[in-house]
Amino acid sequence: MPVLKALALALLVTAPPLALPAPAEYQVKAVFLFNFSQFVEWPQEAFPAADAPFVIAVVGEDPFGAQLDAAVRGENVLGHPLVVKRYRTVGEVESCQILYISDSELARIDKILNSVERRSVLTVSDIDRAAERGAVIQFTNERNRLRLRINVAAAKAAGLTISSKLLRPAEIVGERQG
Amino acid sequence: MGFLRFAGVLLAPMLAYGASDSTADLKKLSVEQLMDLEVTSVSKRPEKLSETASAIQVIAREDIRRSGASSLPEALRLASNLQVAQKNSHDWGISARGFNTELANKLLVLIDGRTVYTPLYSGVFWDAQDYLLEDIDRIEVISGPGGTLWGANAVNGVINIITRNARDTQGLYLEAGGGNELRNFSGLRYGGALAENVDFRVYGKYSDRGDAVLSDGGSAAGSWRMSQGGLRIDAEPYSSRNRLTLQGDFYGGDENLPTGGDAKLNGGNVLGRWSRRFSDDADMSLQAYYDHTHIALPKPSNGFAPAGILTDDLNTYDLDFQHHFRLSGRHRLVWGLGYRFTHDSVGNAPTVQFLPARLDHDLFSGFLEDKILLRDTLFLTVGTKLEHNDYTGLEYEPSGRLQWNFTPRQMLWAAVSRAVRTPSRIDRDLREPTLLPAPFPDSILNGGPDFISETLVAYELGHRAQLGATLATSISLFYNEYSDVRSTTPAPAGFPSFGFPLVFQNNLEGETYGMELSVTYQSLAGWRLRGGYNLLEEHLRVRAGQVDFGNALNETADPEQQLSLRSSIDLLKNGQLDVALRWVDTLHNNNGPFAGTVPSYFEADVRLGWRLSERFELSLVGQNLLHDRHPEYGFPSAAREEISRSVFGRVTCQF
Repeated sequence: MPVLKALALALLVTAPPLALPAPAEYQVKAVFLFNFSQFVEWPQEAFPAADAPFVIAVVGEDPFGAQLDAAVRGENVLGHPLVVKRYRTVGEVESCQILYISDSELARIDKILNSVERRSVLTVSDIDRAAERGAVIQFTNERNRLRLRINVAAAKAAGLTISSKLLRPAEIVGERQG
Repeated sequence: MGFLRFAGVLLAPMLAYGASDSTADLKKLSVEQLMDLEVTSVSKRPEKLSETASAIQVIAREDIRRSGASSLPEALRLASNLQVAQKNSHDWGISARGFNTELANKLLVLIDGRTVYTPLYSGVFWDAQDYLLEDIDRIEVISGPGGTLWGANAVNGVINIITRNARDTQGLYLEAGGGNELRNFSGLRYGGALAENVDFRVYGKYSDRGDAVLSDGGSAAGSWRMSQGGLRIDAEPYSSRNRLTLQGDFYGGDENLPTGGDAKLNGGNVLGRWSRRFSDDADMSLQAYYDHTHIALPKPSNGFAPAGILTDDLNTYDLDFQHHFRLSGRHRLVWGLGYRFTHDSVGNAPTVQFLPARLDHDLFSGFLEDKILLRDTLFLTVGTKLEHNDYTGLEYEPSGRLQWNFTPRQMLWAAVSRAVRTPSRIDRDLREPTLLPAPFPDSILNGGPDFISETLVAYELGHRAQLGATLATSISLFYNEYSDVRSTTPAPAGFPSFGFPLVFQNNLEGETYGMELSVTYQSLAGWRLRGGYNLLEEHLRVRAGQVDFGNALNETADPEQQLSLRSSIDLLKNGQLDVALRWVDTLHNNNGPFAGTVPSYFEADVRLGWRLSERFELSLVGQNLLHDRHPEYGFPSAAREEISRSVFGRVTCQF
């Protein structure tokens, strides 16, 4: 052990700055979903009623657990209270403003994206090339740091206006499905 | 990943420790700042298809830290689907779904994909298995058979100990402390980058533990010292689709034995793994390792032959390939091939011998498993393993699992599996010489030349749910049918053999059934409560027309019921208080044909942690606080060792 300690002291000089305990990936993604509700503008007709809630829907196996509920608790978007709803399949999804498509829906993502096309829904997914396939925002993980890929044409088609606060740090993806 | 996510849902409450606070902090950050944060992911490794439709519990790193555990067996007490009994200061009996005898042999344990059981008796020397607990990412504990993926010995359960990627263990970590039983310990790790996308860590640890106590209160002279060190390098050359891991550990230690002398153990291993992700649903991995273990165990005289030292040197070379891909939209296939060569060399003691002393064995294996999407939320997984070993030839371990995610947060599963416990050296090669002249018996107990594999057919049913944001539950029911379980057949009674030698045969059979229940309640205000309950009924009997010297008592040593309750509270801003209570029912064991018991007991562990600054944390841990000492294992006698109350302090710092 003394040998190891000496080694450690020798290496100490090059030690990197303090790393705080890293938050879990889906805790940060949950906060991103909340931020999307703040940095994207939905058209008035996206809400069925003036007092309707702002719904973040999760379709498929839910990776967030309590994290997403914690991120939206007590929050609202222009007076619409934020709520989280979870669905097994896209057929069950009623009105929603953000639709998170879980990895479990890999085989069905195209069908899901088609079913919400031209509705004012911000589609979000982790699935590989989701943005190319027509999702508005795709998360990627680059060496444990989260990145956003945004399909602006899909956002436009859904009638959504995305703030430059989101667009600036994101990678913009051209839609290739015509 | 998709399949792992369900486990992720169940884990979320654990990982979400104080989530409300840190989430509130995260919400104050800008988008750029959020992108700058380093995040930890639940898992990146290729999915193990059967895992979620099984009785799995996952122990997260934070759970281990907050439990105050100072060793792997102590950390394993966090899995309520295991039976963990401390025998003395350095030996543990750990099993799932029963059969937790001195020669427990139905649990497969892997550390980063490396099998750690000994072919001497197919059990685990828990005193030789350790790691810097801070650098363990998680421990997956599966109760129930896992033979289809993991092969022989994954009969009643599988424990996967997974250490962290070197990229996630950067910087310096130091810990040190001491107390009355865990007299002193220290640990250290340093992690850095060798090049872009190439990270490493080195670690070392040392511990010195005091004696257990004999049932009359005297010292059991079982103190134990252990050192371990190691290295891990993780690289992602070219792109994150390729991952290379190179790791190795070495350890050495000695322990006093109440029967006299010192046992010595040491060993080391080196492992390399290349994994490549082709797409979101196709990947492969190739892994090779070498492992060496050495033990030297003083064996007292048996009344006939004198005392001496039993040594064992085991060299294992293992190669493993796995490929996972999607075939059409509905089939997810995983298949693999494996080869293991073991060279075992025993230095025989006068009283305990393995013949032949040197033994080379080849193990060939292959498996194929298909997870089929039957309907939107209904999956069927079918597959089998085929293995060829030098004792019994070809063995097959098929299973079928049905998984129904009937709501996004609830799952029902059912499984039928076959698993085998192949013979170990003790079953075939053991001799316990008496040195008596003919016609008297020349040995007390012999391995059986015709000993074959023990087999299990298991029926399981389970339900898991995440109810709202705060409650997660899991219940598993099982019914196990065992055949060809180990028995000891006596020689003819009377002069001159007097029933000896006893010979291992496969004359026991029987059923076990029971349930495992676990509940996690996570309040968002930094309080988590976890409960676990196990019920186990065991009915082993001697096959009709046969005789067992042990009266069918020798293969089980288990409590019928077990209850655990664990509370974790965040105190003020920087404090943490964890209290764990456990109740273990009367344990039924035996000494040869005679039944004995270990009384049921209640015990409590407490950890109080205090974060002094971002770098320093102090904690005070009390283990087994309710009694001065209590037995957890062993046949009633003056030599039975008991476990004392233990208190120690620990300081950790990170730079």
